[in-house]
Amino acid sequence: MKTQRDEFIEKLFLAAKSDSDIIFISVDMGAPALDQWREQLPNQFIVAGISEQNAINLAAGLSRAGKKPYVYMMACWVARCFEQIRYSCAMAQNPITILGAGVGLGYAPAGPAHEPTEDLAYMRAIENIEIHSPSSLGLIQSLVNLTISVPKIRYIRLERTVSDQVSNYKSNCTFSEVVNTGSQIFKEFSLLKEKTKVSILSSGYLLQRAYDASIILQKEFKIDVQIIDVIRIKPLNIEFIINNMRDSNIVVTIEEQALSAAFGAAIVEGLSDRIFQAKVLRLGLKTAYVFENGTRDQLLDNNGLAVLKIVHKVNEFVRAQER
Amino acid sequence: MKSGVSLIEKAKYVRKEIIRFKTNTGSGHLASSLSVVDLLVSLYYDEETFFNHKTDKIIFGKAHGGPAVYPILADLGYFSLSELDNYCKPEGILRLHPDQTIPGCEFVGGSLGNAIGYAAGLAWADRKKILVNVLGDAELYEGAVWESLLFISHNKLSNLLIVVDRNGLGILGETEKLLKLDPLKEKFSSFGFEVLSANGHDFNSLRQVFLNVPTKPTVVILNTIKSKGVSFMEGKAEYHTIIPKDKDLIKKMLEDLN
Repeated sequence: MKTQRDEFIEKLFLAAKSDSDIIFISVDMGAPALDQWREQLPNQFIVAGISEQNAINLAAGLSRAGKKPYVYMMACWVARCFEQIRYSCAMAQNPITILGAGVGLGYAPAGPAHEPTEDLAYMRAIENIEIHSPSSLGLIQSLVNLTISVPKIRYIRLERTVSDQVSNYKSNCTFSEVVNTGSQIFKEFSLLKEKTKVSILSSGYLLQRAYDASIILQKEFKIDVQIIDVIRIKPLNIEFIINNMRDSNIVVTIEEQALSAAFGAAIVEGLSDRIFQAKVLRLGLKTAYVFENGTRDQLLDNNGLAVLKIVHKVNEFVRAQER
Repeated sequence: MKSGVSLIEKAKYVRKEIIRFKTNTGSGHLASSLSVVDLLVSLYYDEETFFNHKTDKIIFGKAHGGPAVYPILADLGYFSLSELDNYCKPEGILRLHPDQTIPGCEFVGGSLGNAIGYAAGLAWADRKKILVNVLGDAELYEGAVWESLLFISHNKLSNLLIVVDRNGLGILGETEKLLKLDPLKEKFSSFGFEVLSANGHDFNSLRQVFLNVPTKPTVVILNTIKSKGVSFMEGKAEYHTIIPKDKDLIKKMLEDLN
């Protein structure tokens, strides 16, 4: 299956052919979809070498000059140029798009240096940044359109793989509506009933685990679950989430991050800011730095996010609320 | 303005104003501002140098020395002269580091090593745009500077002139004793730059290096003296963030300039 990265670059390339302001900066990162770009639009392609700090500063200057720069790097390196994103882009108000490939443990077994497990915490601290974690290829075109038409500092977290079940999911809304809303409900996965006891919030690769857990929770433990796919992590559409919680106030967040200041924390902040009283269970990696060999799934299984572990924890949490 | 005498007078005026508004509030980096005064006077006022402030841009790397430009911008009408009195005050628009909210200023100031890459982006986007990036010599310790130098040289961004304020001092002392930067000329040359040098306090020398827009990627190393113009502070690292408060001392500073 095509990667989100190649889908993004292909769609952006088509737009760039008739918009010479679109400039692609690569920090020595290639992609099958980039080859035609380099051949056909060499004047809209910048080789920055492995220099993330310079690449972001360049992009800030290009942005100020009226260009639409896209900087493509492994997601783990946004930490390396955090100051440049904060200072040259956010503070100096120069909108750019950062394409971060391989979020969470997506590069396993490359080891923790290549596996960003804290990026939500530090990136969402940046003022006025938008953070998107698309769950399906279908959403990518709408995201591309958004980045071209509405200038903002954006961090697009691209998954290397997502299960077919997640990637092929189609909600009742159009893709562009979903991108605008920033969240969607996985109705066909949720075996949704009138009364939902638990809302599970997740995104990207972990939606499949949320789904697998929800099946067991419903069948074995008679706990009705719905899944909300939170595509835009900043700014959160917390109204959408609250409006869709119906008669339940139990929320579970599942993320491929260390828990400190990350996705679950963002949800808690959002709920608190709306003075919405919810019981929130945050599930994430038990350590940020996973020194283990194995596939992404094996590492997730071993680090607190095995499906049965999720089931067990959610069940325990729900029972505790009933007591 | 062409004559050397009037440029010297202009520089005196700029230094007096800097000393006045810096000692007023006691905020900022007086010493670093004084070392770039003549560079700025040469670019803004010497009609024979290439710089045209209406179309060209100065991007400060060492923005802690950037307030040196405030008296010049006020003189040229970017904002009222009275703003100098409000430097670093709640009611004022002039800040310790110049930033894009101040008329005549670009970018944001205060984080070293980033302005050069930003300027490279501007220069790449429009090769007719003339840009001058003022780097502090101690700013050269930032690795991002060298990332950007590679890029500027490879892409032949000759419309971006890099000027190094070589006052030889970091906060802790002399760069060559603390952590060697030399041989600087050879370092820039090996990166593919034309390297010029000038006496940063001599208008004839400055004019020689700023006569024309470069046709190749160029670095100008300006040999300067930190705190230039205030005899007892000149070349002394300890004055990096110290601004004299004593009234008699301030009087002496201003007398020194005459």
